[in-house]
This record gives sequence, structure tokens and C-alpha cells, in this order.
Amino acid sequence: MSRTVRLVMFGVAAAVLAPLFGLAIAGAPPFGTASHPYRDLAVAAALRNATANVVSSINFDQRGLDTLVEETILLASVVGATIVLRASTGDVRRELAGDDRALAAVTLVSVAVLPGTLLIGLDVVVHGHLTPGGGFQGGVVLATGLHLLYLASRYETLERLRPLHWYRWSEGLSTAAFGGIGVGGLATGAGFLANVLPHGSFADLLSGGTVPLLNIAVGVAVAGGVVVLLAQFLDQALRIASERDGKG
Amino acid sequence: MSRSALAPLAVVAPILAACVVLVAGRRAPRLVIDVLATATAAGVAATTGFLAASTLGGRAVTWSGGWSPVGGRSVGVVLVADPLGAGLACLAGLLTAVAMLYSWRYLASLQAHYHTLVLLFLAGLVGFALTGDLFNMFVFFELMGAAAYALTALRIEEPDSVQGGLTFAVINSLGAYLSLMGVGLIYARTGELGLARIGRALGGQRADALVIVAFVLVVTGFLVKAAVAPMHFWLADAHAVAPAPICVLMSGVMVELGVYAVARVYTTAFAGVLPGGVLRTALLVPGLLTVTVGSGMCLIQRHIKRLLAYSTIAHTGLFVVAFAVLTPGSVAGAALYVLGHAGIKGALFLVTGLLLDRFGSVDERDLFGRGSRRDPGGWFFLAGGVALAGAPPLGPGIGKAVAEDAAGRAGYPWLVAAFVVGSAVTGGAVLRAGLRVFLGLGHPPQPPASETQGSGEQPETPSLVRAVPRTMLAAIVLLLLAGALPGVVPPLWVAAGRAARMFLDRTGYAGQTLDAAPPTPVAPLPGLGWTTTGVVLGLVSVTLAVAVALLGVYRPRRAGWRGPVRSPAPVELLHRLHSGHVGDYVAWLFLGVAVVGALIAVPLLAGR
Repeated sequence: MSRTVRLVMFGVAAAVLAPLFGLAIAGAPPFGTASHPYRDLAVAAALRNATANVVSSINFDQRGLDTLVEETILLASVVGATIVLRASTGDVRRELAGDDRALAAVTLVSVAVLPGTLLIGLDVVVHGHLTPGGGFQGGVVLATGLHLLYLASRYETLERLRPLHWYRWSEGLSTAAFGGIGVGGLATGAGFLANVLPHGSFADLLSGGTVPLLNIAVGVAVAGGVVVLLAQFLDQALRIASERDGKG
Repeated sequence: MSRSALAPLAVVAPILAACVVLVAGRRAPRLVIDVLATATAAGVAATTGFLAASTLGGRAVTWSGGWSPVGGRSVGVVLVADPLGAGLACLAGLLTAVAMLYSWRYLASLQAHYHTLVLLFLAGLVGFALTGDLFNMFVFFELMGAAAYALTALRIEEPDSVQGGLTFAVINSLGAYLSLMGVGLIYARTGELGLARIGRALGGQRADALVIVAFVLVVTGFLVKAAVAPMHFWLADAHAVAPAPICVLMSGVMVELGVYAVARVYTTAFAGVLPGGVLRTALLVPGLLTVTVGSGMCLIQRHIKRLLAYSTIAHTGLFVVAFAVLTPGSVAGAALYVLGHAGIKGALFLVTGLLLDRFGSVDERDLFGRGSRRDPGGWFFLAGGVALAGAPPLGPGIGKAVAEDAAGRAGYPWLVAAFVVGSAVTGGAVLRAGLRVFLGLGHPPQPPASETQGSGEQPETPSLVRAVPRTMLAAIVLLLLAGALPGVVPPLWVAAGRAARMFLDRTGYAGQTLDAAPPTPVAPLPGLGWTTTGVVLGLVSVTLAVAVALLGVYRPRRAGWRGPVRSPAPVELLHRLHSGHVGDYVAWLFLGVAVVGALIAVPLLAGR
């Protein structure tokens, strides 16, 4: 199909769907009403299990099954990206040019913020059941923090400090830990992924039962997963050249 | 351990096994990984098979996290195993076990990554079939996708492979996002995500624009997964490049789960607000279009994997049509049809995989007469073609017969034509390819004009194989048997009838899920099985299929047959529409959503 035909077809579809969608949005409840059936239940449930961050309580306790599957999606994506972006026949690893040193100012700033970033990442993971944040957010902070090394120094430094074959362990074990905690709940008879650990007292570091543990498992999985995914793309861009490109 | 522990175990077991395989994959011998993966899949099949049988007396409800509802409400996620859902999960487990068996000598360079992804794919399929929560459905949908995209694009040495995987990913992700918007809309209205809760909140309400749009958007992702025209384009591109055992899983159960999800969401959550008559039209129109396009495209393929892929599209169309009739008989027919189709189509894909491994080609003309008469694969392929056409007393045939019977009883006897023609044309196309490749019948091939060829493909084994490994042959035989059996096991028909009745029982579903109410006993459906009409129609289909095959094989030489052949104009047009351009597919997708949306919205909103 030509571009025009394609656009016309999409236009026809949009002409039908846009007004319908507008009507649907108009039928949605207005902002700022007092009626929130799920909130009323979820906040009470979070308080009952002494989890100060209600969002974490929903993610890891009340709807923990969703999050287990989301972590599994991450695992599948990491493994999938690893094999789809693997070096194939016809690819050659190329040496990097020697003059990729960063500007001194960039190096200085990166080195200065690197320890803080890593600490913040850990803090966000560990306090996920208390304050905004958690394994997903903290894991991303940790992984991006590590990539400050790339800005501060050379790609080789980053390569040396991120042993990629560890991902089998980080992804495999963290997902297994999440699933294992789920099976543990089943074994106690409380139900799959039930919050069977002592709940502690509200807003303590050791509270929320399984929620902080699951947060840490997800933190490891996300940090490892983002490092591996970025590594695959960086490698494709910097390291792997195709013989077909001509300029190997 | 109580029965309610089985559903979460069936989901988490393949996830845990995938983790073990991933961690151990670099060191452990290949045989250990193969055995572990095959055994896990077989274990899942056994567990869910037991669930399917035991839930005939009442659903198995599992609130994850132990969040059992209080006063009919809960913050948790629920898994609801009923015979149909657990049966499909069992089918997923069986197909995965057979696919794993076939893969024992296979894709050796991938260091168990292949096994990891297949096990995660299985977890997605099983969870999707068992969940009773709309958002949880979406999450499992994404898990199926993430694993399937990578498995499709596995053979990265070939650009086609990556392109097929990418198209698959783009179109299915787009469908998933539209689904998510629908989930958001329905949550805004009801404040609920559980299917049973949504059903109660909407029951007896007026169907306004929000409900209609939410339903249409939610089912869009599922219709894309089900490859319903005009959202079907990704399927053939993905199947053409995916490894044969992955095609078994995608064609045999993943696509069918798309139809299942539409049916599940409608019957549990929306049946109280959207009238059945309106839904019937909204599904029959795209369903019949799917049968037509799938059969037509199937007939004109020479790339055998594409031919089988379009046959899957045609059959999915038939499943949609069967469900659209919305009676217990038609749902039972669809369920039996899915079982039979999965085995037969799986066997056909695996025989094609063997051709690829032996000759490095899946092109019908290229392979002309190269299969030997002593090759059991050839006879399996031909038998599969006959079975696919609906021959009594085999699996696809009983499904077709029961669905036809139900359509007639519901006042839609003309739908029988779709079942007869759809199965005859696709079965005929398979037979034609088999006769030419394995028996060398008909005219030797001529040079083509412009069609997708199937030659020059990479085999999936390390090198071209001479003797077929026993594990591969065993996998094919198992699938053929599994596809044939539903036609000759009457207890399965009785079970399908009761499963269908339970599936359509919205009140019973909500009561058991939310109020822990005792199950309402379901009576078996009377008269479900082979009838004289069913057998006659099956034989008509097979006769037509043979005619289609022979016509294809011994097509009279027209003037201009020598030299480049020009296809007739409609064929050219069909080919051109399936351009491989993702932008085209996106435009078609939105057109499909608009058509389904209009078919539901116009009768419900006009005249208010």
C-alpha cells in the first residue's frame, strides 16, 4: 500500500473511533470524587499488614501475583534480548578507537555523583515498603548509576566492571526467590504469595512482612536486567560490526 | 494440599524450572536440561489435566496471597480453574512437552536459553488460561508475548527471522496497549479488576459509550492474538520464520487462547450489559472474513509454513464463528475443534520442520517429488491433511460436526457452509502440497512470477539431517494421535458439553468466585457426538478437499503456463495486501477495531 492509502485507511478508522472514545471519556467519573471503592479496601489492607507505602503493599502483597509475572516478563525480555542480539555469524568484534576519553569536566561530575547514586539506589530499594520507591525504581537507579562509569571513563572500564555472565545468577535467582516466597506461602497453608512473615510495627525498617524481601528480589532483577539490556545495545553500537557493513 | 493450590503451582513451576535451566544452562549437560524442561511441561499438563477433570463438579478458586473476599469483595488477584480454562492449560502443557521432545537435537548453540524461554512461554499460556482477573490477564498476555517474540526471532542469521519477530512484537504490543486502555476505562467505571466483580458491577446496567469502548478495546488485544482479520497479518510472517516446535505452540494454543479470552471476558464480565445478539454480529462478521481470507491465502501459498499458518487463521475464524453462536453446543464444538486442530496442525508443522532440516527448504515447488514414498513423514503429512479437512471419526471432524449441529439448532444453518468450505479448502491445500512433495504427483514446477518462496532457508538442526531422530518422529506420532483421539472418545464429548455449560454460566462463576457458594450442578448436554448429518458433512468436506488438491496438482496447462505465470487479479490483490509492511498492518488493525466498535456501538447507541 502507498503511504496515502495507508493514511486514508487509518483516517477512516480514526474518524469512527475518535468520537466513540470521546463519548467514553465523557462517561468516566469526574476527578476528585469521594467514591474510590478499591482505595478504601486497599489502604485498609495495607495498614492491616503494617506496610506504610500502600503502593508497595498493592504491588507486592495484595496483587503480588501481577508483580511476579511482571518480574518474569523482565526475565523473558532479558533472555530474549540476549539471544536476539547475540553476535551471529558474520559479526566481528571490533577494537574501540583509543581516543574515546571523556572530557575532564564530565569525568569529574560523574565520579562525584557515582557513590551517591548507588547509595540512593540501595536506599530506594530497601525502603520500598516505607517511602515512595521500591525494587523497580531503585533497580533502575542502581543500573543507571553504574553507567556513570561509561561517562566518566572508557567503555572498557564499564565492560570490566559488569561481568555479564552474572546475569544468569542475578535474574535466575531473584525470580526464583520471588516464586519461592510464593510457594512458601502455599506451604504454610496461607495461600500462594501470602504475606506469612511477621508484619512488625508500622513504619519500622523491619515491617511489612514479605514486602521488603520481594522488593529486594525485584531490585536485584531490575538492576541486573537493565545492565544486561543496556549492555546488549551498547555492544551492538560500539563493539559489534557486521562484515556486511563493509567497514568492520 | 488442597485443590486450590494446584492452579498457582501450575503457573509457578515452569517459572522456577526456567530459573534453574538459566542458571545451570552453561554447565549442565544438554540431556539434563532437555529432560528437566520436558518433565516440567509434562508435570504441568498432568496437574492442569487433573484440575480440568476435577472441576467438572465445580470450579477451583484460588485467591493469591490468601486475600479471600469479605462480603464478596477482595483486593487480591483470583485464579479460577474451570474445565475449559484448565483444559486449555493442559493442552499448553502437552504441546510444550511434545515440542521439547522434538527439540532434543536442536538449536544447540543457544545454551539452554531456548529452554528458558519456552518454559516462560508455558507459564504465560497457563496463567492466561487460569486467571479470573482482567489486569492479570493483561500481564500474562505480555509474558506470552515477550517469550514468543524472542522465540520467533531466534534464528538471527536470517534477516527474515528478525523481521518476522519484530512485526509480531509491534502488532501484538499495539493490541496489548489498546487492551490496557480498555482495562483502565472499565476500572474507572467500576473500581474493579476481577472479572466476576466487573460482571456484578455492570450487570443490568445500560450499555453506554464507556462500557462499549472499554469492551472493544479490551478484546482488541485478544483479537490480534487470535489473528482475526483484518488483524491477522502478523501471524503468517511470524510462523514463516519461527522454529517448527514454536509454531506448534503458537498455532496450537496461543492463538486459540486469544479466542478464549474474548469469550471469557464477555461471558464473565460483559454478558450482563452487552446483549448476545449484538456480540454475535460483531464476532460473526470478522470471523467469517477471517475464514475467507485464511482459506484463500492458504490455497495460494507455496511456502509450506505460510500455507499452514493461513490454515490456522482460517480455523481460528471457525472457532470465532462457533463461539459467536453462543450456545453450550457451539462452545463445546469449538473446544473439541481446538483440541483436534492443535494435534493435527502441530504434527503438520513438525513434518515441515523435518523437510527444512533435510532439504534446507520449505518451498512446495522446490521440494517437488523430493520426499520419498518410504518416508513416514510424507504419510503423516497426508493423513494430517485429511484430518484437517474434518474427516470422521477424527478430532477436528468431531469439533466441526458439533459446531455445525449447534449452529443449525440456533437458527444459523447457513454457517455450516463456512465450516465445510473452510476446512475443505485448507485441508485440500495441505493435501496438494503433500501429494506434490512426497509423491511427486502432477506437473513439475514452473518458474514463478513473484511469490514468497520458501527456499534458501536455514535448517534448525546444526546441519542437514539424513536419518530422522527417533525423538522427532515420536513427537509427530504423539501429536497425530492427540489430534485424532477427541473424535473417538465419547467421555470427552460429555465433558466438553458440561465444560461449555459451566463456561457460559455467569452467575455460577461469580457465586463460586466471590461468595464461596457451592457449585451448581451441571447436566450433560444431550445429543452431543457424531450424527448422521455430521458424518455426511465431514465426508463432503474431505471429498471437496481431495478435489481441491487434485485440481491443484493436475491443474490444466493454460496458454502462457510456460514462462512466468501471472496470477489472476484477486490472487494478486490478496498477495499485495499481505505486504509485510508494519505500517500497513497497523492501519488494518485500527480499521478492524473501528469495524468491531461500530458493529457494537451502532445498534446500542443509535436511537437513544
